Amino acid sequence: MKHLSRIYTAIIMIFLFAPIAVLLVFSFNGANSLSVMSGFSLHWYRELLRDSNTLISLRNTLVLALSSAFIATVMGTGAAVGIDKLRSRTALTVYDTVTNIPMTNPDIITGISLMLMFVFTGRLIGSTSSLNFATMLIAHITFCLPYVILQVLPRLSQMDRALPEAAMDLGCTPVRAFFKVVFPEIMPGVLTGLIMSFTLSVDDFVISYFTAGNGFETLPIRIYSMTKKTVTPKMYALATIIFFTIMALLIINNVMSDDQRAQARERRKARLPMSSTADMLTDAETVASPAKGRSRKLSDRGKLAVVACLIAVCLLLIIVPPALIDSDMQTLNVYNWGEYIADGSEEFMDVVSEFEDWYYDNYGRRVNVNYTTYATNEDMYAKLKSGAVSYDVIVPSDYMIARLIEEDMLLEIDFGNIPNYENIGEEYRYLYFDPEARYSVPYIYNINAIIYDANVVDEEDAQGWDLLWNPKYAGKILQYNNPRDAFGTAMYKLGIDANTTDPDEWNRALEELLRQRPLVKAYVMDEVFNLMESGEAAIACYYGGDYFLMSDAASEDVDLQLYYPDPTCYFMDSMCIPSCCQNKELAEIFINFLLEEDVAVQNAEYISYSSPNVLVQESEEYADYMGEEAMEALYPEIDDFTELYNANSFRNQDSATMDLMNSLWEALKIQ
Amino acid sequence: MDKIIELKGITKSFGETRAIDDVSLDVYDNEFLTLLGPSGCGKTTLLRIIGGFEKPDEGDVIFMGRRINDVPAYKRNVNTVFQRYALFPHLNIFENIAFPLREKKLPESEIRERVDEMLGMVVLRGFEKRSVSSLSGGQQQRVAIARALIAQPRVLLLDEPLAALDLKLRKDMQGELKRIQKATGITFIFVTHDQEEALSMSDTVVVMSSGQIQQIGRPIDIYNEPKNAFVADFIGESNIIDGRMPKDFVCTINGRDFECLDGGFAPGEAVDVVIRPEDVDIVDPAAGQLTGVVSSVTFMGVHYEIIVDVAGFMWMIQTTDYVAEGQTIGICLEPDAIHVMKKSEFSGMFGDYSCFSDEYEEISDPELAAAAEEE
Repeated sequence: MKHLSRIYTAIIMIFLFAPIAVLLVFSFNGANSLSVMSGFSLHWYRELLRDSNTLISLRNTLVLALSSAFIATVMGTGAAVGIDKLRSRTALTVYDTVTNIPMTNPDIITGISLMLMFVFTGRLIGSTSSLNFATMLIAHITFCLPYVILQVLPRLSQMDRALPEAAMDLGCTPVRAFFKVVFPEIMPGVLTGLIMSFTLSVDDFVISYFTAGNGFETLPIRIYSMTKKTVTPKMYALATIIFFTIMALLIINNVMSDDQRAQARERRKARLPMSSTADMLTDAETVASPAKGRSRKLSDRGKLAVVACLIAVCLLLIIVPPALIDSDMQTLNVYNWGEYIADGSEEFMDVVSEFEDWYYDNYGRRVNVNYTTYATNEDMYAKLKSGAVSYDVIVPSDYMIARLIEEDMLLEIDFGNIPNYENIGEEYRYLYFDPEARYSVPYIYNINAIIYDANVVDEEDAQGWDLLWNPKYAGKILQYNNPRDAFGTAMYKLGIDANTTDPDEWNRALEELLRQRPLVKAYVMDEVFNLMESGEAAIACYYGGDYFLMSDAASEDVDLQLYYPDPTCYFMDSMCIPSCCQNKELAEIFINFLLEEDVAVQNAEYISYSSPNVLVQESEEYADYMGEEAMEALYPEIDDFTELYNANSFRNQDSATMDLMNSLWEALKIQ
Repeated sequence: MDKIIELKGITKSFGETRAIDDVSLDVYDNEFLTLLGPSGCGKTTLLRIIGGFEKPDEGDVIFMGRRINDVPAYKRNVNTVFQRYALFPHLNIFENIAFPLREKKLPESEIRERVDEMLGMVVLRGFEKRSVSSLSGGQQQRVAIARALIAQPRVLLLDEPLAALDLKLRKDMQGELKRIQKATGITFIFVTHDQEEALSMSDTVVVMSSGQIQQIGRPIDIYNEPKNAFVADFIGESNIIDGRMPKDFVCTINGRDFECLDGGFAPGEAVDVVIRPEDVDIVDPAAGQLTGVVSSVTFMGVHYEIIVDVAGFMWMIQTTDYVAEGQTIGICLEPDAIHVMKKSEFSGMFGDYSCFSDEYEEISDPELAAAAEEE
């Protein structure tokens, strides 16, 4: 039995801490891979310190957490004092329930309802962008409040109610009595409330996501938007740091409440009936108590915890100097994919701050770029559609641009302000989603490729879509875990138009996928990186640009190669100006800046997808950096890009076809 | 002696419950006055009105000739010793006692001197650095008294300060309190439900019931000359028997005339007759003015407490001579053993020992008790 319980405890411990241990280990990994350890390195911690956007979002998170925790603590303590004064049982029950609702309510409901309220009130007062730092602060205070109340209320009810009266009796005004007598008594609860609020606020993603404005990105939101590509190991480093910070806070907190418990025990003891005569003995003979002096130590420790917290935050705030405040400052709100701009890490240019400086040098005015990120076109669309925030530049993908134009959500671009537009290759300009090139400026494109392990796959098999159906490699093949891309592979293989609306053709594609299913190792999205890098899988179709990430991190016995089957899927992300834009000219200047040769080269190198910028394609520096092999892979010989693109890229589907696709997909996954 | 506090027509209600009902009371300088009554009688509410923690609905509180109804507690020259002491747990003993002086921002040297003096008075020198929780109940009590007295109030209010102590310690503290009151010359207003405590310590006892004052007087007068059945029953043990006054100095009980010392009633007026258990002489049945049958005998240490059935009414008698259960005895009453009271609202409620219980708490209205608790 004893052994069993030990094993049980061990299993639970492993469940709880194994993920953290893995995170910790890989944060010190020298290589950019989850499967290959290449020795201890602080590389990712250094990278983290260089990533100014992440650090700014960390600072934002801390500023938000600290201010919301303080305000929630003050308000919650006040509320608890008020509730404690209530005498009516019904009123108490009502307040108890009311304060509990936000705690039990799912975050997503709280988040959506808060967003709705902010947007609604914003509309009422005629504000163009109703979500900002203040709304996020209000949201965080809202969900922290009940926790503070729940911490403070029990302290108040444990307290002798005569204490504040005694203080008033001895000459204190009611307010002074609260601070001199009541507050020291409830302080442990107040501090616990403060620390809990702080950690809850740092932790929150869902509510923040819904209430975040365009200029204020917290860390969880930033990490989420980074998952567009892969989570880089510098996030492991950050997560490790956060984990230990929170753990330190918890330990301080628990040590304090241990103290508190010991003190309560002492007090209970003292209340037991006294042995009568011993009490009258005057001084030294009375029993010395271990509780002596405890109370003082406790409050000191509490103060210490808060002060330590404050110092830590202040230090971080100093490391990351806040944006210069300038009355003449203009603001440009840019909303882009995660990791889709060179950000100053790993020797890259920090494009955003470079633009801010360049603008000041050329126009004599300060501009502050609020750069925020999203993970999917649909996230971006939802945020834009809510009308809660305004953006000046967005970078949607092709089909989404078509939809935005259709819904009149984009402004026509004044190309007079974008002389660098001539750098964009002619063949990239007039794609189907914007055939007259009025709304979009191509940013980055990608071609779906088949990536394979040359150590496993025979050279003669490596061509066309058939490789994905080759029974020779059963159990080594990966397929997309999203219906559009997966059906796409089957349709390209069968020579069906990928944008077909004919149910028969869709059913044929399904049959093809069913035929492939026994060969498939797994249906995956981002897991493709680890499975391919480690050699567990040998064949996958994925975005061509991501091939370099994979082959760089692949283990030694894996030789990843790539080829483009024909036909295949193309996609283009283009810069657009949404109709909610507040400063169109500035937006156009920014787009023009991104088309400058050196800037575009930096971005192309950083993102490692293909650039439609002719100057980039012809740049020697760029070719040197990428290498010959990569240049071939990124820019295959294509006769008529526009035609191929328009023929094969995914377009918006009508809802009937979408429904059909989803039900067929379920059929594939369930059977 | 000067009046220090005058209460004039004080009324106070909590919701539907009337806690204080038209109470008027004068408190004199230097006296030890006790508010005595069962829980829920309004004595604590009255104390809190004087302390400034409650506002009367009607009536005036006059302090040294000035109306102080609207003066908040922290501006009144009155201090309170709370029932459970209400010491500040986050401060040590020295700082607890120094609290009122720190509020007055007195110089440190004066604070040290006065706290030391107070610690001497309550015999707690050497405890300055100790925490509140390391002290025993009696010690905490004395700290509370020192803290209340250090600001040199004109009046000290004590709200059942001894209730939480055990019997022996309570007796010691009674003496201690009396000594401190004499030494400081400060007026004490003391609230208790313990009649013994009230009688032994007070200069003046105010007996309260249902928000009203039943009797004010010196302890000896309250005991010997209770005004009505409630007071007679609440203070000590009493047999309260229906009687008549055919004329002055003669009263009729159970159809027999007894000589007594009271007069001034209408001829033939129905009255309550109080006979204290210790004033009854037991004699041979043949020699007795009344006879009865012993129904129970309880040994109490100094004496026996016996219940005697006298013509259907149960008398309590305290005697040092043993009598057996079932024995028929004779009873004799001296004139000064008989105290005659006018009939009152309490007549017939007390003074019969047929269902003997000294749990006087139980007679009080539970709602009223709840209201008193909530204060």
